[in-house]
Amino acid sequence: MISPEQYPVLIVVIPLLSAFLISILGGMDKRFCYPATLLALGGSLAAAVATLCLVADHGIIHYRMGGWAPPFGIEYVVDYLNALVLVVVVFVAFMAAIASKVSVEEELPHKIPQFYTLFVLLTTGLLGMTITGDAFNLYVLMEIAALTNYALIAMGRKRALMASFNYVVIGTMGACFYLLGVGHLYIMTGSLNMADILNILPHLYGTNAILVAAILMLMGAWIKMAFFPMHGWLPNAYTYAPSATSSLVAPLMTKVSVYIMIRVMFSVLGAVYVFKVLPVKELIVWLATAAIIAGSLFALAQKDFKKMLTYLIVAEVGYMVGGVWLATAQGITGAILHIVNDAVMTLCLFLFAAIVVHKTKGHQLSNLQGLFKKMPITMAAFAVGALSMIGVPPTAGFFSKWYLILGGIDAGQWQFVVALLFSSLVNAVLFFRIFEIAYYEPESAQHGHGESVAIDEAPLSMLLPLVVVAITIILLGLYSGEIVTTFIQHAVPAGI
Amino acid sequence: MEILLAKYNYWIYVALMMIGIYGMIAKTNLMKKIIGMSIFQTAIIVFYVSIGAKKGATIPIIEHGHGAAHAAVRVADYVNPLPHVLMLTAIVVGVGTLGVALAIAMSIYKEYGSLEEDEILERLE
Amino acid sequence: MIWQFDFLILALGVICALASISLKDLLSAAIVFGAYSFLMCLLWTEMGAVDVAFTEAAVGAGVSTVFFLAAVFHTSRIVQPRRRGRMLHKLVGLAAATGIGILLISATADFPNWANPNSPASTHLSPFYITETIPLTGVPNIVTSVLADFRGFDTMFETAVIFVAGLAVVSILGRYGRRLRDYEPSPVGEDVAHQSPIIQAACRIFVPFMQLFALYVVAHGHHSPGGGFQGGVILGASFILVAISYDLRVMQRRLQERRAMLFSSLGVLIYSGIGALCLLMGANFLDYSILHTILPATSPIMARSHGMLGVEVGVALTVMSIMVIIYVNVASYGKSDRGL
Repeated sequence: MISPEQYPVLIVVIPLLSAFLISILGGMDKRFCYPATLLALGGSLAAAVATLCLVADHGIIHYRMGGWAPPFGIEYVVDYLNALVLVVVVFVAFMAAIASKVSVEEELPHKIPQFYTLFVLLTTGLLGMTITGDAFNLYVLMEIAALTNYALIAMGRKRALMASFNYVVIGTMGACFYLLGVGHLYIMTGSLNMADILNILPHLYGTNAILVAAILMLMGAWIKMAFFPMHGWLPNAYTYAPSATSSLVAPLMTKVSVYIMIRVMFSVLGAVYVFKVLPVKELIVWLATAAIIAGSLFALAQKDFKKMLTYLIVAEVGYMVGGVWLATAQGITGAILHIVNDAVMTLCLFLFAAIVVHKTKGHQLSNLQGLFKKMPITMAAFAVGALSMIGVPPTAGFFSKWYLILGGIDAGQWQFVVALLFSSLVNAVLFFRIFEIAYYEPESAQHGHGESVAIDEAPLSMLLPLVVVAITIILLGLYSGEIVTTFIQHAVPAGI
Repeated sequence: MEILLAKYNYWIYVALMMIGIYGMIAKTNLMKKIIGMSIFQTAIIVFYVSIGAKKGATIPIIEHGHGAAHAAVRVADYVNPLPHVLMLTAIVVGVGTLGVALAIAMSIYKEYGSLEEDEILERLE
Repeated sequence: MIWQFDFLILALGVICALASISLKDLLSAAIVFGAYSFLMCLLWTEMGAVDVAFTEAAVGAGVSTVFFLAAVFHTSRIVQPRRRGRMLHKLVGLAAATGIGILLISATADFPNWANPNSPASTHLSPFYITETIPLTGVPNIVTSVLADFRGFDTMFETAVIFVAGLAVVSILGRYGRRLRDYEPSPVGEDVAHQSPIIQAACRIFVPFMQLFALYVVAHGHHSPGGGFQGGVILGASFILVAISYDLRVMQRRLQERRAMLFSSLGVLIYSGIGALCLLMGANFLDYSILHTILPATSPIMARSHGMLGVEVGVALTVMSIMVIIYVNVASYGKSDRGL
């Protein structure tokens, strides 16, 4: 009944419509929410995979919203880059949704319909940001994702409130900078369609207004992705958010923002402009280097397991931003591959954190004591994610890091290469310390407050997604060559 | 004078934006931060609406819309409607953000008994 | 467009903005901020952006101010001076503001002159909308046709943003509601007597006209300034007026919070459902022209016009209920029984 041309819009429309149905029906019976969420995200995942196949076979897809031709109407463009990101986003959301059942019932018992409605809408927002070919439409979707995110974080415990207030102020500033940048492009070109702007811009490259537009849009994306030194809002917000929230937002928000940066650079401003006209390439790689080192050092200093992971995110953002701004084909390939890999790796670690919170009621490093014996399957899956963060072959993390290092060598940016190696070393120290705590240290008596809680394997609804994600990490590693040749190499702009 | 008339609209939007940013960063009272945020957002709206202005044009509603006259619509007669549409969105997003920010600020007041950032941070420790 | 007016309003706007940032009394700051919004709305009317001005009058000067007042009423009114690190904080703020100010000013030199009819923004896309709105959609108000049709997809998500905001406020403030309701049995009908009878009588007369006008604004948005957003906010404001001049419970007898939540989902569902219907009938998402096959006696062009009316009704429904929901929760700390 629905022809394949309609697949791209289904990716966004299925979760959108379902969100309101979840809100209505969930108000009547809250048992309805969880299966409906899975159904919605499953449908969206199917559409995204179908679209990915279409792109692999036939190339870039354009979809006219309301039947209006661009640049007058809004258009969806699925190319080799965002076809991949779409599948990753909806896959991560689907897995996080499966795992959310127990922790939502435990942490937010009175807010189940609200939680799932916002959860699905957040996914919709992220998907919409990824798929759109219109610069202003991107802003609207960015606000949907942001507002749902504020609410999902503020649902957490007391400490989450101040974190989410800061996030509201800083996040609004980021989105407004982006909007202002779009305004500058609009006043100079008269257009909002990305492809159209890209066509008009070259004769305006010398102007100050376009320079300011570029700065504003990039600043907006950087604030949203918590790029060092604009990372201040992230660690507390993600640490004190409810478990089910952090396993959705931690893998996705920063990665989608990195995608937005790439989209703005190559599909709005043009690769020629950002790499040849703007004189900031080197500076940004230096900033990325600082981000990696600072993120790793902060992570090393944490006693809180979840907070440690959030600082690793800050470091990983440095990987991707640096990789793109190396301005070599290898570096950009590595950055895009790392968006995919890091989303799945981070998901793995945060799903594990959710299990730890569920079982031990805390997320300090000391909560991990003796877990290897009590939950071997969970720990094995976590180990895969951890090894991937360190960059051990054949896990996915190794391959993207490999491309990034090659890119750094190509570009002659040795400080970036050193930072990557340093961060791998720090990750190794961090995760082996965790293995040590979880394997050798017995559960200390004072920790359980006298009452010894019987800790065993995680419930199936949490274990299953974790194991699937761990397997995915290995598969992504094994098939990384295919991913690069089928998709990513077409996404790298020509002639850089 | 010429350049003043041609650009003052843009300069004043920048002034409003600076006030907003100052309020968001320098003020420690949460409500003041929210007011700063709202001023920041309206400054952007001033900017966009200024883009849409057009000398000698009227509001973007076609006169005598129903009838045979519609063949004679002249572009120069109507201001640019597109920024208006975009800014309707921005106003709505603004009130949404305002509502959420107020709700969070009120929860913070409930938990910590203060709206001053420094006092709250002291109580956090 | 008279630049002297424009300049005067802008200058007043800057003064109000400065005042609302620097006033120590939050209640005054909120009122001055309302005045600021009202000046902005004058400014936009003056520049020909009537729909934006209408929305700002209803949203910015209207309900936003009420939200502010409600929030200040429940928290503290006086801004405390910062204890330490005051200068540093101010300097950082000033530096950031100046930096961004210089950046933005430097860009304005390249801008086309203000109100220049030959600027790219006025010559690239907008002529299409101006000349084609009647032939393609049959709607004289260009803002409505761009809002609900040419860029209708944006508007759908904009409605979703409003929905999300309402849901967020409920889920953030909701936690206090349950806790307080447990140990604070509130007497029924007590607050009603506290209000002045003059206000109540005036409210009784006003509200029906407000609601009638709101429905007119929604329905007549194709031909005059207005549409779903403006009409929805006015409808919401009429309920808020009842809540302020009587009591939250009196209002809730007219529109329960639970039902408002249902309406708000229903509104966005109407919008996206119309889009999905077009999809199911074989056209692209939100391509209303296909609906002429099921709407009686219409051409594809009139089907677009009718489709827009349909989505505007959805928008109005959502905006109305969310405005009420935000007010109810902010004014009562999520208890949704006693108001200001």
